[in-house]
Amino acid sequence: MKLPSLGFGLGLRKEHYQAILDTSPAVDWFEILSENYLVPGGKPLYFLDAINERYPMVMHGVSLSIGNTDPLDFDYLQQLKDLSERINARWISDHLCWSGLAGVNAHDLLPLPYTPEAVKHVATRIKHVQDFLERRLLIENVSSYVTYTQSEMTEWAFLSAVAEEADCLLLLDVNNIYVSAVNHEFDPLDYLKGVPKARVQQHHLAGHSDYGDYIIDTHDHAVVDSVWALYAEAVKHLGPVSAMIERDDNIPNLAVLMQEYEQMKQVSASALSESVQDQGGAHV
Amino acid sequence: MSELLELQRSMMQWLQSESGDIHHKVLGTEKVSAETRLAIYANAYRYRLIDALSDNYPSVHTLLGDEDFYNDGVEYIAAYPSQHFSIRYFGSHLEKFLAKQHQDTAVLAEMARFEWALRDAFDASDTVSVGFEALQTIKPAAWVALRFTLHPSVACLNLEWNVPQLWAAIENETGQIPFEQAEYPIPWLIWRNALKTYYRSLAVDEAWAINAVMEGKSFSEICTGVCEWVDEAYAPERVAGFISTWLAADLITALDV
Ligand SMILES: [Fe+2]
Repeated sequence: MKLPSLGFGLGLRKEHYQAILDTSPAVDWFEILSENYLVPGGKPLYFLDAINERYPMVMHGVSLSIGNTDPLDFDYLQQLKDLSERINARWISDHLCWSGLAGVNAHDLLPLPYTPEAVKHVATRIKHVQDFLERRLLIENVSSYVTYTQSEMTEWAFLSAVAEEADCLLLLDVNNIYVSAVNHEFDPLDYLKGVPKARVQQHHLAGHSDYGDYIIDTHDHAVVDSVWALYAEAVKHLGPVSAMIERDDNIPNLAVLMQEYEQMKQVSASALSESVQDQGGAHV
Repeated sequence: MSELLELQRSMMQWLQSESGDIHHKVLGTEKVSAETRLAIYANAYRYRLIDALSDNYPSVHTLLGDEDFYNDGVEYIAAYPSQHFSIRYFGSHLEKFLAKQHQDTAVLAEMARFEWALRDAFDASDTVSVGFEALQTIKPAAWVALRFTLHPSVACLNLEWNVPQLWAAIENETGQIPFEQAEYPIPWLIWRNALKTYYRSLAVDEAWAINAVMEGKSFSEICTGVCEWVDEAYAPERVAGFISTWLAADLITALDV
């Protein structure tokens, strides 16, 4: 049901283009931000092609606006499809959110109300997109800061219902689960246990900004210990899933990011060996 | 109307004007009120878009200073909400906005025009240029009707202010220089060669010639045109000189006989 795993990845950022070409870091794959390459030409596409010659890539977008009530933007989808062919993208992901109305784009990942109406609306649109792109999409959980009075179910029940009805794959962002768990006062383990395991194709890991009473998903810090701990739980529960680190602001040099990359591999490896022991499968 | 659409209307009204009934549609927690939670989204909306403006207009930002850039940014967002799937194009109306907003500081709108042209050159489409050899294959008789296609990154701007010099001083951090207005607008050429973006000023006849090329005029029409500035006998040599400069800078992507 799932696509083959790619191992461990990093987000491709322009700050690292040259260092990647100069040093060919031991990264299994890169995730690109699709919109950065939906341009006519120049530097972005030059480096994309050069790096793509050496690494498998997946595409991660922010403009699908799958929860919008405006019609789907087929011009955008065609550009996504062309880009995916150009780089042989192993998969394409975007967020379970909405981002604008009546032609205005708020450029934010706004949460949806968790209602049967929204499940139906979003699942129908995902199916249209999947038909157009001729592949299954990965849908990602977002960080959120409000609860709507309309909502009738938990976020993970909503995510699961959408995934089942649309028959899509999931990108579980472990940091977003953590952020939303603090903001909405739920147990992040309930979330991990509540999603369809067979659909989880990828994880995101990222840093955030903690304001005490609430957390904002800013991608401008290293991954914090509590998110590493939750990632370990995710690995124990969901098994080995392709994972990567997102860093969008306050971007360190590649060598520093590679240390975090190694940490991700270690956390995953030790969680896997622990879960084997828990299941009594290890021989001492 | 569907519940979903109704909620999205309320939220968009909140983001765009911090008004409406969204407060009745969201819940707070014991620790964080609905107001605080909604403010996170209103702030994110503003800051993300203003950051995008700043990325595309670093020198306009420097000339205005943080506070004015922010305040103008807020007004710009209200006047020209983003209509494109990519935030890359959000700033496309800033020149127009600044021309109205700062009528007595016209250098700001010109800086916006210059920076937007640089931005466009940066990711304009990649087209392979033709070399001098291509020109050598043109038979003498064909020169009269010869037409040229320029690289998609090429733009020609007429600037009244010393905007490129101001831009360079800000970019290279060589210290503030005063605004200066020229007696006549000065033509500037912007282009990208390989991955690097360039700009230079143009003599008035070269500016006319490059605009004529963009309009699809032929070599002989261009020669006739530049006679306004140079002697008729010298015109073909002058235009051939421009063409060889453009070829050397990889500005010409096709010859059409
Ligand atoms: Fe994410």
